[in-house]
Amino acid sequence: MTDFAEIYSRARKSWTRLQESKVPLIYVGSATCGQAAGALELIPAIRETLQELNLKAKIIQVGCIGPCYLEPLMDIQKPGEPRLCYGGVTPEKARRIIRSYLLEDNPLPHLAVGHFGENGQASLNGIPHFFELPMLKPQVRLVLRNCGFIDPENIDHYIAREGYQGLQKAFEMGPEAVIETVKEAGLRGRGGAGFPTFKKWEICRQAPGKEKYIICNFSEGDPGAFMNRSLAEGDPHCILEGLLIAGYAIGANHGYIYVNSDYRLAIRRLRRAYEQMTEYGLMGKNILDSGFDFDLTIKEGAGAFVCGEETALIGAVEGRRGMPRSRPPFPAVSGLFGKPTIINNVETLGTLPNILRNGAAWYRQFGVKSNYGTKTFSLVGSVRRGGLIEVPLGIKLRRIIQDIGGGSWKRFKAVQTGGPSGGCLSEEFLDIPVEYEAMAAAGSIMGSGGMIVIDEDTCVVDLALYFLNFTQKESCGKCVPCRVGTWQMVNILQRICRGEARSEDISHLQNLAETVQRASLCGLGQTAPNPVLTTLRYFRSEYLSHVKEKYCQAAVCKDLTEYFIDPDRCNGCQLCVEICPTNAISGAKSEPHQIDLYRCIKCRACYEVCRFNPLAGNAIEIKARQMA
Amino acid sequence: MSKTKPDKIEIIIDNKPYRVKAGMTILQAAEQNGIYLPTLCSHPSLSPHGGCRLCIVEVEGMRTFPTACTTPVSPGMLIRTHTEQIQRIRREILQLFMSEHPSSCLICDERQECRDYSITIHKAGVTTGCRYCPNDGQCEFQELVEYLEIKEIEYPIYYRNLPVEKEDPFYDRDYNLCVLCGRCIRMCQEVRLANVLAFKHRGRETVLGPAYQRSHLEAGCEFCGACVSVCPTGTLAEKARKWEGPPEAQITTTCPFCGVGCQLQLLIRNNRVIGSLPAEDALVNRGQLCVKGRFCIPELLNHNSRLEKPYRRFDGINYEIGWEQALETAAEKLSACSPEEFAMVLSPNLLNEDLYIAQKFAREVIKSNRIDNSARQFYGAAINEYLDLMQRAAPLSQISRSEVLLCLGLDTRFGRSVVGVELRRALQKGARIVTLHSRRHSLSLNASKWLQPQPGQESEALAKLLHWVRKLEKNPATGTPAVAPDEKDIAEAARILSEGKSALILLGSELLQHREAHQILKTVATLAETLQAAVLPLPPQNNFYGSLLMGAFAEILPGGKSAVKPQKTVKDLFRWEALLETADSGNPGQPPPRVLYLIGENLPPQINSRPEFIIYQNIFMPEADSGADLLLPAAAFSESEGSCFNGAGRLQRVRRAVAPPEKALPDWEILCRLARLMGASGFEFRNVKEVFEEISAVVPRFKNFARPSRHPEPLSLSARFTLPEPDGRVQPKTNGQYRYQLNALISEHSHRGVLLSQRVDGARVIFGEGILHMHPEDARRHKIEAGESVEVISPAFRRVWPVCLDADVAAGNLHIWLPPQEYPGPNPHPVKIRKKHV
Repeated sequence: MTDFAEIYSRARKSWTRLQESKVPLIYVGSATCGQAAGALELIPAIRETLQELNLKAKIIQVGCIGPCYLEPLMDIQKPGEPRLCYGGVTPEKARRIIRSYLLEDNPLPHLAVGHFGENGQASLNGIPHFFELPMLKPQVRLVLRNCGFIDPENIDHYIAREGYQGLQKAFEMGPEAVIETVKEAGLRGRGGAGFPTFKKWEICRQAPGKEKYIICNFSEGDPGAFMNRSLAEGDPHCILEGLLIAGYAIGANHGYIYVNSDYRLAIRRLRRAYEQMTEYGLMGKNILDSGFDFDLTIKEGAGAFVCGEETALIGAVEGRRGMPRSRPPFPAVSGLFGKPTIINNVETLGTLPNILRNGAAWYRQFGVKSNYGTKTFSLVGSVRRGGLIEVPLGIKLRRIIQDIGGGSWKRFKAVQTGGPSGGCLSEEFLDIPVEYEAMAAAGSIMGSGGMIVIDEDTCVVDLALYFLNFTQKESCGKCVPCRVGTWQMVNILQRICRGEARSEDISHLQNLAETVQRASLCGLGQTAPNPVLTTLRYFRSEYLSHVKEKYCQAAVCKDLTEYFIDPDRCNGCQLCVEICPTNAISGAKSEPHQIDLYRCIKCRACYEVCRFNPLAGNAIEIKARQMA
Repeated sequence: MSKTKPDKIEIIIDNKPYRVKAGMTILQAAEQNGIYLPTLCSHPSLSPHGGCRLCIVEVEGMRTFPTACTTPVSPGMLIRTHTEQIQRIRREILQLFMSEHPSSCLICDERQECRDYSITIHKAGVTTGCRYCPNDGQCEFQELVEYLEIKEIEYPIYYRNLPVEKEDPFYDRDYNLCVLCGRCIRMCQEVRLANVLAFKHRGRETVLGPAYQRSHLEAGCEFCGACVSVCPTGTLAEKARKWEGPPEAQITTTCPFCGVGCQLQLLIRNNRVIGSLPAEDALVNRGQLCVKGRFCIPELLNHNSRLEKPYRRFDGINYEIGWEQALETAAEKLSACSPEEFAMVLSPNLLNEDLYIAQKFAREVIKSNRIDNSARQFYGAAINEYLDLMQRAAPLSQISRSEVLLCLGLDTRFGRSVVGVELRRALQKGARIVTLHSRRHSLSLNASKWLQPQPGQESEALAKLLHWVRKLEKNPATGTPAVAPDEKDIAEAARILSEGKSALILLGSELLQHREAHQILKTVATLAETLQAAVLPLPPQNNFYGSLLMGAFAEILPGGKSAVKPQKTVKDLFRWEALLETADSGNPGQPPPRVLYLIGENLPPQINSRPEFIIYQNIFMPEADSGADLLLPAAAFSESEGSCFNGAGRLQRVRRAVAPPEKALPDWEILCRLARLMGASGFEFRNVKEVFEEISAVVPRFKNFARPSRHPEPLSLSARFTLPEPDGRVQPKTNGQYRYQLNALISEHSHRGVLLSQRVDGARVIFGEGILHMHPEDARRHKIEAGESVEVISPAFRRVWPVCLDADVAAGNLHIWLPPQEYPGPNPHPVKIRKKHV
């Protein structure tokens, strides 16, 4: 057992050594988002270039820093110079930047995204400061403060940046005071429901019995959500520190992280972090001489969406089928193996070190009354600047979408928050603040952080169908409203999308949605109708036009669209003639083609080839069918 | 001071105050006070599920509508159960159910007329109306639809179109009718602790069944039928009872298939037993049954081979005769034969009263002591040691009170699965199991230690176990260092056994037909003394205990006194084996009797010389080549009153549920009539009660005959069995020529001389007597495929059996269950095998 002060000073030294390194540092954002964009091809290319140019530099793989639309990201920090960030870096581009910046001292300002210089606002050679970029400026990075800056596989980096000091503070003040601090900070569950964290903890702490458990809910299953994954890949230690703090506060000596097994990188980094903690005496018996013992199991789940539900998650951790059960008893009283258990979301745990280290008052400066602190979102969909963001609560939706996201590509239609359990909010709600109550009042939820922006090219009926299909397929099958009710809703929505619905179907859909909402067993079923209910509320006209006029404004619903060939643009390349599986398109070479709508099955093959093949003229249009 | 007791709280349901026990659910509180709440998934013996959502109620202060079955009451709770909104949601939910459940039996307009007029008079059977659900008329779903007055479904109906699963024995599964209430799963997991069933897949494709598409047989299902009993719809349906309709009456009685003595309820319709269910509050089996008691009874009792009239047989042809003529023929033959020329064989499946009258008939009317019981063959040379163990028998309830359990040659999957459930309950409470068995069996996964001696070395293994137990007793610190590697398992097992505060030894019947069975049982007795353990012998015959107390053996008189003078030797006795022993076996038996009276037994087809006249009294027709001359139809256990003893010595009642078929009579009555015809007195009984009264004068256990003690009582018996001298031959070992060890055991699953497999379709699948089990590796070496026949050759016999491949049997061993008549003698037998080419 080494003294923490000693560990800290050692870590600090190694961090300073790195920062004052004599050779340039090259940071590559290689979280899953970076890897998907090609970060892993980038690294060998950088290495080769360095070798070719006979240069020495240190390559550091870091987590996601936020602007995913710019991935892959490569940052270069020359000794004594501020770190520069380059976006959309291909191997060729990387070669060019390295050669130009490291060899010729030309940072290529037109390729750089931003710099991380000391003096905040000033631009450097015309390169703006990274945090002054429109996407970053409205953000407040508390949970994500280390993402993209530290090597997530190096515990020293985390410790050097004040890591595990929150835990130390917690040990100094004792468990009751920890709960009190969290209460004062006003932290609410970041998994979506916003239940005050301290309340659960208190119940669990007071529950009789020595054996208690803390579980980290890392079952991120919403389509389009990746906040937790990015956090675990970029800064795994902050989650583990939070887990220790929570375990200490409630009196649990064993923790579980329930994580979908397809998050390979996150799991690897969490395991690595666990090993390092054990090495440093931050895990195991008598942590930091506090007398507190703690150990951890990382449980890989099969990835059922319903396992995000507390009781189903407990079942899955126990090794049973992930199926929710009725509450009471609440997990805080009788949870894992029948023992009092607290389940906290990844982000909730990730916030704890900050609160403990800096105090409740510090935390309360962010956000607004009863909604303190920050929240991470994955901003996706039809938005110009998509990525991982963190904003203070109380910020207006408009500011997120317009300022951070840069607005939608086409005319803005709606924003879906909270994934399949959330609601679809129309433009008039863009001025509501991002707060638990305000979002709920609008018919949506804060959710765990998925935020999907929709423009006029999306049909809301089709969107509701998509989400409902998802929840229907993910329903565990235990209770009837969810298993059969959602499926019957899917049926009705499909009829609407096909233009086969009658007007009473809409009221029927509404009734059914309410029954499913009221009668389902768990959160999955209770919130499954939200996309339908909110779209019915705010986009009823679109439903009506589907039903009455058989008209799909966005030209998405296949049965309500028609394909046209614009004779002015068609260059007669015959690509579409060749690809059409039903021989619906005819026309001689270099002559405008015609499409036979009776034969057309709307498979979209001609549209794709006409639009994306450089030889074609982008002449095929999909139009909503007008009533004759 | 509050007036209410602390454990009672006040709640308000539908504006009326009630005082209920704290900790109850709302549903329990409502049901207790006569308030009906519709529900599909809840069941009194299962944990709350909350899946059907029909029992939702409104609770003041709760955001959502909680389900009554899962929500506990709390003081001052304000509950509304039947508001308009709740009923509307209930109707909506039920319609959702109906949208995936065939519903012509639920909401068809013609439903009532269809039922009333569906019975038509035609020469040929015709189907009128929809008949696809075997549960019509006894379906909980139907009741709910009526209660919620649903007349039509607003949703499109989706028929899941799943194939009806009929491959497994005993029950069919039509998951198109399933409402996924999960009762069967909870039954399987919580009550039976068998974990065969589970939910599978997600969303609309959710189904249930064993994981990985295995059949129930492959998944380890015990076919206890508990899931079938709780299914609210027609999804799970017994093959034998499928279209029988609801029962008209139920009679509680005792299961006739083994010595556990489960209490069951016979379901009766049209004077037929159509099924059986476990009796709910029974002390012995606590609401559980095994496959035999649950599924085999109706098929056995209603089998077309039932003997219903007396017959006289000449030259293999049966001539129907009346009772007078039959009894006269019997009396004539019996009067003409001397006591030395008479012999009687009784079945241990007979009831006490029948056994008593039978031996009285032999001893008083014929004046012969030549009585035997087929159980003698089963217990073989170890019968006296077995009696010793029975004298210290513990009741079944001892299992869950024990900390360590030693199971010897016991498999609880099919027969005695009730014991298996008790064992798993004990495991749940933290008990540990050591099991000794040469094959992989139902306990090998559950056991903390599985000792798997080679066939033939069981006795040695037990002796070593005893040695280690003693060693540990003397010096608990004796640990691992001194253990030889081959004794490591045994030492470990001994350590487990000596660590428990209360130990119990369960004795299955695998080891009884062992060459060293008497030695094994002696070691068991010593082991029990050393460990201060109770013993639970599990005799497979339902009334073996009764046979002993009633004097159904030559050596024993009623009440357990010895019937034989000490100096008499085995030669003077009639023994069942005497009929089987051939002259050239080196141990010539006595000359065969002239008249043989078989009650509930079958004669083997090959015997050395045939008695002149065989009286065959049973519930089934005899085998065609059995040589019976006079066939007397007896009443089955469900058709007569009486009593029997279970293995632990609990006196149990057997009740008459239906009338015997045609002219069949209870065994005691046939014998009494015959005795009276032969001029004997003392046989003027008018009913079973009078027989019982007489027995109570002779047998102390029957003293208080009106209300006999129901407590189990270990056997107390002064008589001993006289056994032939051990043959002194050394135990044969496998060698280069005879390289396989064959274990050929007498099947436990028979009733009145007939294997259940011979009468019940499903039993043939699960018991499979006469099929040689062989390790796949061995089969590959001999190029034998499953289903082919092999010739098994030992120095003493040569047999041909079909083969099944079974990895539960260790390589180098062979295993087979046989009907008693084909039993080749004590095990194991070194054999060689040869593929039989057809």
